[in-house]
Amino acid sequence: MRSLLRSLLNSIGVREIHEAANGSAALEILRERSCDLVLSDLAMQPMDGIDFTRDVRQSPRSANPFVPVIMVTGHTERHKVEAARDAGVTEFIAKPVTAQSLFARIAEILERPRAFVRCESYFGPDRRRKAQEGYAGPWRRHGDQHDHQVP
Amino acid sequence: MKKAQIIPPDDYPQMVSKSDAAKMARALRAPDTAARGATAIQQQSQKLQLAVHDYVRELENAAGNLPLVFEKAHELRGFAETAGLRSTGRIASGLCRYFDEMEKLGTVPDHAVVVLHVSAIARAARAKDEAGRMSDTVVKELAALVAHKVAETKAAL
Repeated sequence: MRSLLRSLLNSIGVREIHEAANGSAALEILRERSCDLVLSDLAMQPMDGIDFTRDVRQSPRSANPFVPVIMVTGHTERHKVEAARDAGVTEFIAKPVTAQSLFARIAEILERPRAFVRCESYFGPDRRRKAQEGYAGPWRRHGDQHDHQVP
Repeated sequence: MKKAQIIPPDDYPQMVSKSDAAKMARALRAPDTAARGATAIQQQSQKLQLAVHDYVRELENAAGNLPLVFEKAHELRGFAETAGLRSTGRIASGLCRYFDEMEKLGTVPDHAVVVLHVSAIARAARAKDEAGRMSDTVVKELAALVAHKVAETKAAL
């Protein structure tokens, strides 16, 4: 999978790519080098993509808690996808990965960067994808109806 | 309840400037970029197929070690189809789905179901006519078996 992603990134001119076999190794790389984008598998051992993303977003040692994380995952793992979203994943790509699906996600991140939300139980990209005009509640956060618009 | 803090994109570092981001996004969505990516995959197909065969061997050797079987099947689901081995990927995907369902139900997967899938993955990957009609039948039959086993397990709980 890593070789496939490397080839696809090379084809769009990305030259500096760092590979890691699992979440712990990837965290080491992120601490040592500045990265613009992270592509991670969900199923890794010993540290999976969910724990990895949570660490990137929440650890005090994280070098860049705002770095976009694209999670590559199989379509059957819905409960895990939800857990990954709640850990702070930016975008998902379903397997099998195609050039079009990968490039579309990167384009989305570039063109429409998401606002980040920091609250007691979460730090990461705003999980609300659509602004619903005329939404009358219920409001999840105190003051939402007065001063928060989804960008 | 403490109010959530919203941090707009302008308040944290972005990969590139807004104008460069728009240009890059347009380029990434262009059909010729997708075609270049598809060519890159095609150029890798022989290498990818060799990797698939390596994973198939590791999958066969993992017999009895369910976490390892899942890990190898998951990899195969991820890129066997991209490597041009469609049926291999679909059978691996079915096996992963079975593992996921059993995990959700808090049950250990049936050894026979796992063995059948592993054997079918190996045969499909090595078949000359990998995506032939026979493979399609095997994929359908195994999917029916998984559905039956999941229903049976749910009924027994």
